[in-house]
Amino acid sequence: MSSARKFDARPKVAGTYRFLDDYNNIEMMHGLLFYARFDHGIISKIHLPPDFNLNEFTIVHASDIPGQNLVPEPVADQPFMADKEVIHFGQIILGIAHHDKKTLKDFSEQIQVEYQKQPATTDIKQCLEDEKNCFGKEILINHNFTPKSDPGCTYLHKVYYTPHQEQAYLETQGMIAIYDDQKKSMFIQGTMQCPYFVKEAVETIMGSAIRQVIVETSEGIGGAFGGKEDFPNIIAGIAALLSYKSGKPVKIVLDRSDDIIITTKRHPARIEIESWTDRISGKIRKLTVDYRLDAGAYQTLSPVVLARGVLHSFGTYNIEEAQIRGRLFRSNTPPNGAFRGFGAPQAIFAIESHIDHIARELGIDLADIRRINLLRKGDEMPTTQIIQEDHIKECLETVISWSDYYNKKARFEEFNHTHSDKKGIGLAIGFHGGGYTGNGEKILKSEVKITIDKDELVKIYVANTDMGQGAYTTLAQIVSEALSYPLSKTIVEIPNTDKAPNSGPTVASRTIYIVGALLQNLAYKINAEIPDNNLSSYIKNHPGQFPREWKLQFQPDPDIRFDDNTYQGTAYKDYSWAACVVEIYYHCQIYQIEVKNIWNVLDIGRPVNRKIAEGQVEGGNIQAMGYALTEFFYKPGFGRMHGFTDYILPTAFDIPEINIEFINTSSPIAKGLGEIPMDYPAPAILNAAQHALGRNFYELPLTPENIFQVLKSSHNTKIAQEDN
Amino acid sequence: MDFYKPSSLPDLFEIISRLEGRKYFLAGGSDINVQIKNKIITKEPVVYINHLDELRGVRDDGDQIVIGALTSYHDLISSPLLLKYIPFLSEALRYFASPPLQNMATIGGNLANGSPTADITPLLLVLNAELKMMSKSKLRIIPLNGFYTGYKQFDMKYNELIGAVIISKKATSGYRSYYRKVGSRRSLTIAKLSLAGLKKMSGEQIVEIRLAAGALNEYPRRLARIEDYLTSRIRSELDWQEIESLLSKEITPITDLRSDSEYRYQVCLNLIKQFVLD
Repeated sequence: MSSARKFDARPKVAGTYRFLDDYNNIEMMHGLLFYARFDHGIISKIHLPPDFNLNEFTIVHASDIPGQNLVPEPVADQPFMADKEVIHFGQIILGIAHHDKKTLKDFSEQIQVEYQKQPATTDIKQCLEDEKNCFGKEILINHNFTPKSDPGCTYLHKVYYTPHQEQAYLETQGMIAIYDDQKKSMFIQGTMQCPYFVKEAVETIMGSAIRQVIVETSEGIGGAFGGKEDFPNIIAGIAALLSYKSGKPVKIVLDRSDDIIITTKRHPARIEIESWTDRISGKIRKLTVDYRLDAGAYQTLSPVVLARGVLHSFGTYNIEEAQIRGRLFRSNTPPNGAFRGFGAPQAIFAIESHIDHIARELGIDLADIRRINLLRKGDEMPTTQIIQEDHIKECLETVISWSDYYNKKARFEEFNHTHSDKKGIGLAIGFHGGGYTGNGEKILKSEVKITIDKDELVKIYVANTDMGQGAYTTLAQIVSEALSYPLSKTIVEIPNTDKAPNSGPTVASRTIYIVGALLQNLAYKINAEIPDNNLSSYIKNHPGQFPREWKLQFQPDPDIRFDDNTYQGTAYKDYSWAACVVEIYYHCQIYQIEVKNIWNVLDIGRPVNRKIAEGQVEGGNIQAMGYALTEFFYKPGFGRMHGFTDYILPTAFDIPEINIEFINTSSPIAKGLGEIPMDYPAPAILNAAQHALGRNFYELPLTPENIFQVLKSSHNTKIAQEDN
Repeated sequence: MDFYKPSSLPDLFEIISRLEGRKYFLAGGSDINVQIKNKIITKEPVVYINHLDELRGVRDDGDQIVIGALTSYHDLISSPLLLKYIPFLSEALRYFASPPLQNMATIGGNLANGSPTADITPLLLVLNAELKMMSKSKLRIIPLNGFYTGYKQFDMKYNELIGAVIISKKATSGYRSYYRKVGSRRSLTIAKLSLAGLKKMSGEQIVEIRLAAGALNEYPRRLARIEDYLTSRIRSELDWQEIESLLSKEITPITDLRSDSEYRYQVCLNLIKQFVLD
């Protein structure tokens, strides 16, 4: 386990690393996405402002699209630009370009859209309540479920809600398109997670009008968290169209408020759980989960989020009889999309909260209820996948003893007897399947490439991007270690679809787990081909053999099967496991929860770079803390957030002590890491709040206002005044 | 929109006495630049003043501390004079804004912007701070307590400028002080509400009390009715229902993206109680 320093840390601090908006040329026009400010309507006329010289502008509309007006997605139902009908606020109507940014902005602000208003569903909670908003393919998993009730069991039926979450990457979305009329080729450069997705999107919108699309990322990508998985497709498509029409390079960089308003968010969820638990043993006999996501106005990639959510909704528990249903709901809001965790944070929030409610109902300790029901080696998931390891048990026991859980719990309860401020301790466990769901990796067939030059540089070609998570450092480290070759001479090339093979998108905690493993195997292959096993001297002695290129493609394990219809089989080959304890302090005067301490024990297999791995856990924890306590995007009656003044992210002052331990570190496999630290802290915070306040909560975020409402509804408005 | 950059303080007064109507003074720019960007300020002249160093700095003036209007929050936080005489103000200032804003934003600009959520105003109100209003021909000292007359409405003429804030060195001697800013997080947050207080006790009797609330009215305000009720009463004999009903006449909390009216009201009451009974 090395902790090689991120090679990009220094240039980023010094400001020399180039992000998208640092790329300029004199010819370049600025592009802008003009979008609807209404929820649902039929456009009758677009009035362009009269006081401008229209010849200076390039304007594109759906009717200018030479190819197809559908963004390629798992379900391709979203147009790049609305033609007649707008079905969500923020839907793009026009792409506009001009040489001067300010003129462009002034112009677009004065455009008037005339439309006939149509009925719209914008209240997310209401949307998820009403089954007539259901759309897309339903998922149903039935595992030995019998509807008959069991007299020895306690029945518990609860509904859990989670809100939107904004990715809040530091660098907003942006794309440059440069059209070459002679070659009929389009060069795209941007801030993105998935260069090959962008390539397909540009090919789709441009159709036969162009012959070639090359996509390259900017040197730096200032955060993404899933937000740059699919939205870049749209900006790239429209930027390409503007460049094609104007014949000039076009750069679109969203400003913060546009970015927040129109780009994808984490799906709000409504998750209804029924459980039948044996009163004596505490064993959960039966479970039903009704998992609903608000997809927004289009399905796009939501079916995939739904799949992962459903496949994590039963938690890390061994349940004999389970019935799980997953459905998407349509609202007149921007399509929701990928965000770190991808359906799992919602699922794990609901199941972990529910487990706590069962424990409270039966008077069982939070750790014990988990011990009783934990998935152990040899147990079967509702998908019939057999568990091969007992690492979740080890995570749980380690975090309990390390955090001094039992003593703290007792001490806090003592404190709470004599204080009006309260302390609470909470516990949650979680898991996250690495890589694409089900047959995804089999279909993707990722490929990687390594070249070695005469100048002794080992170059790694992948389509995966470093968006700040340290992928280039970690991938280079994997290759350098496998080749026993200096890290300083091992580099990852900036992803470019003309040079790097398609190693798949930078999503699903798959970059190190899948792509890293491919690179490691390729490096071993190179090692095997270099006779004296000393690469440096071999290159010196055999200059004629270089430059040389090696490639390797993903080979699926033939024993692994998954049925996309019944959801039976191996949904994920390797799971990461984690257990977490959270300590909170409740400020009674202001109804506010402060997180004091988080303990994480994780099995991510082998952490390739310990510092980077810890950074991922810390970042995930903080993002989860915001999710649990302060972040919400939409307030009924007040609409959506427009910026970071109102959308409240944690700042450095809010960050608690974060303790991290990895188990199973001598494993040969580096499993998924990026997402799991986001999955489990929110329910741990919620159940710490329940411990502190002796009240049940079912909904995130636990803002002071929401806590105040819950306490008030239990006739307890005077809680703050009791012991003064 | 016309911009002006006076060459000196007399030149400034010359310019502003010549320009008719409302005008904006650009100091640190942390509010004005945003308002220009958001097209809230479009026509009115903008006069740049941040280079007029006569208006900057915390000065010892006998039994008073005089804070120049252009003094930045950073300079306030690091002022030994403030730390010595009004330490609770120095302490509270640390939780205002971000370091870049603390470096740029000025006390005069903060007061003249007149935001209902301005963090420093409730503190200055309980300190009985005064404002030195300057114009070409006149200088007047007014209590901050009378400066605000409505939402972004001031007792200030178009040819006037806030020159300085004056605080007595003895403003807190003999008093217990209180300040609590309630925001969505610990830093970089706009107050949902805030409460500042000073009180003088004689045993259990409240001899004198001053309370000022932020973000609960159109402008930060003293809670005069509650102060009147509390003054000279015995702490254990207070009628909190009476205080609650007085509070409902004193504040008008709103529901917005940031918080809810009911929450703001209850928390304000909780904080008053905490301070009074502590």
